[in-house]
Amino acid sequence: MIGSGVIAMLWNATLETLRMVTASTVLATLLGLPLGILLTTTAPRHVLEQPVLHRLCSGVVNTLRSVPFIILMVAIIPLTRLVVGTSIGTVAAIVPLTMAATPFFARLVDGALKEVDAGVIEAAESVGASPLQIVYKVLIPEALPALVLAVTLTAVNLVGYSAMAGSIGGGGLGDLAIRYGYQRFRGDIMLATVVILVILVQGTQMMGDTIARRLYHRK
Amino acid sequence: MITFKNVHKTFPGKTAVYALRGIDLSIAAGEIFGVMGPSGAGKSTLIRCINMLERPDSGEIWVDGVLMNSLNPKDLREARKKTGMIFQHFNLLHSRTVYENIAFPLQLSRQPGAKILARVNDLAELVGLTDKLHNYPGQLSGGQMQRVGIARALASEPKLLLCDEATSALDPDTTTSVLRLLKTINEVLKLTIVLITHQMDVIQGICDRAAVMENGVLHEVGPVIDIFTRSTSRASQRMLGSFLNYPIDQLPRLEDPDHVLLRLTFIGAEAHQPIISQLIRTCQVDVNILYGRLDHMKNTPFGMLLVQLKGSREQVAEATRFLEKNQVEVEVIDR
Repeated sequence: MIGSGVIAMLWNATLETLRMVTASTVLATLLGLPLGILLTTTAPRHVLEQPVLHRLCSGVVNTLRSVPFIILMVAIIPLTRLVVGTSIGTVAAIVPLTMAATPFFARLVDGALKEVDAGVIEAAESVGASPLQIVYKVLIPEALPALVLAVTLTAVNLVGYSAMAGSIGGGGLGDLAIRYGYQRFRGDIMLATVVILVILVQGTQMMGDTIARRLYHRK
Repeated sequence: MITFKNVHKTFPGKTAVYALRGIDLSIAAGEIFGVMGPSGAGKSTLIRCINMLERPDSGEIWVDGVLMNSLNPKDLREARKKTGMIFQHFNLLHSRTVYENIAFPLQLSRQPGAKILARVNDLAELVGLTDKLHNYPGQLSGGQMQRVGIARALASEPKLLLCDEATSALDPDTTTSVLRLLKTINEVLKLTIVLITHQMDVIQGICDRAAVMENGVLHEVGPVIDIFTRSTSRASQRMLGSFLNYPIDQLPRLEDPDHVLLRLTFIGAEAHQPIISQLIRTCQVDVNILYGRLDHMKNTPFGMLLVQLKGSREQVAEATRFLEKNQVEVEVIDR
């Protein structure tokens, strides 16, 4: 049965997961947003057309996205050690999580910004907007609902990735599920972690949807 | 105000499109100038070249004494602030309210808030949207959205307004009210307006002068009334075909060798004169009216009649002279 000790363990693991997901979502958003903007605006016929830079950004994003997370996690251990001093624990897990989520989020940003009507960009150009003004005053505000959904999707993905990070000592719900649920045959703990993960994902998605809907002013 | 000198523009591709083939054009300050033509004629490229949304391959485009295609990006942005533009699909920012959309150009040039507030309120009044300032574009009708577009285009007090098929997405009633607004703006603000359209009635309703465009070439440039009544080029005939068309072969007429079929065109005040009844009394001829219409070209009344005259050669000749003396244009269609 699930006693108070197990509940404390589940609670701690949940907090660890939340910490990992929140920190890496924030970092991936901060790093991925400029990268995504660069991807969109340096494309041919866009406001900062730069073919070489565009291909470079696109190449970096594609390369990082093609590495499976479990391998990325192991492969960048030296970098993780350099940044946080250790490769084990919740804080250490944030490095590979951010590394995986940033190019993913950048692609989502790229997609969201590409959806902004070319006519609206043209209208802004026609009243004398500079490329930077178009980014800050047109692209981002117009794509804001889609950007919120992109952050949500990234956070939801990170809940899943964080469980994987648990398997190499990242802590959190994934770690708990592997060590107790799997290796010690505690089906009840396994089930409890899954239920908590489902609730986390549901909650995140609902929050994202609500905010996006509030920001959406079209018919 | 605007001068095109031998402007060429080609869109490369599998099948290259020659959008502009040597355009020479000048548009005077304060006039409403229309470019009409079928889709694919190059009208849109032409108007977009004026504010360099499209860069010509060669030639010169002068706007208010400035050679537009020589400007660096920064100077071009300044020049664009003196040129407003409105679009077929309005292109409003959906994340901003009506107020914020109109304020957008003023915010770009970092005007103080109080000045923006006053200017936006003035513009909202001009376009008749004072009660919608805090609505989002998604809550407006097409006509209202275009009014927001017009207010935004006028925000930085331009000298020139470009209208890219501005009424093509609107229903006829809304089109009329938007055109009336453009006419008012032209008169009150002394703004030069260039518009492109495939709708004849837009040209007829508000333009002073117009050009007929086809396959990247301007076929005819002149006062609207001349294009509608005296056009000679094939392109204008094709464009006007549906507008001034009369089913000449289906008209009932008297099969009589003594009859002459004439097309009479009345321009200006003559369109209101009882000229036909005077003709009958003065020249003693019989007149059979087959087809007629009375219209306005901007503010000029314009009428057209297809008539058959019955009478001797001398009577018909005299009738023709009478009509021409009264400023009616007579064209003999067949004898």
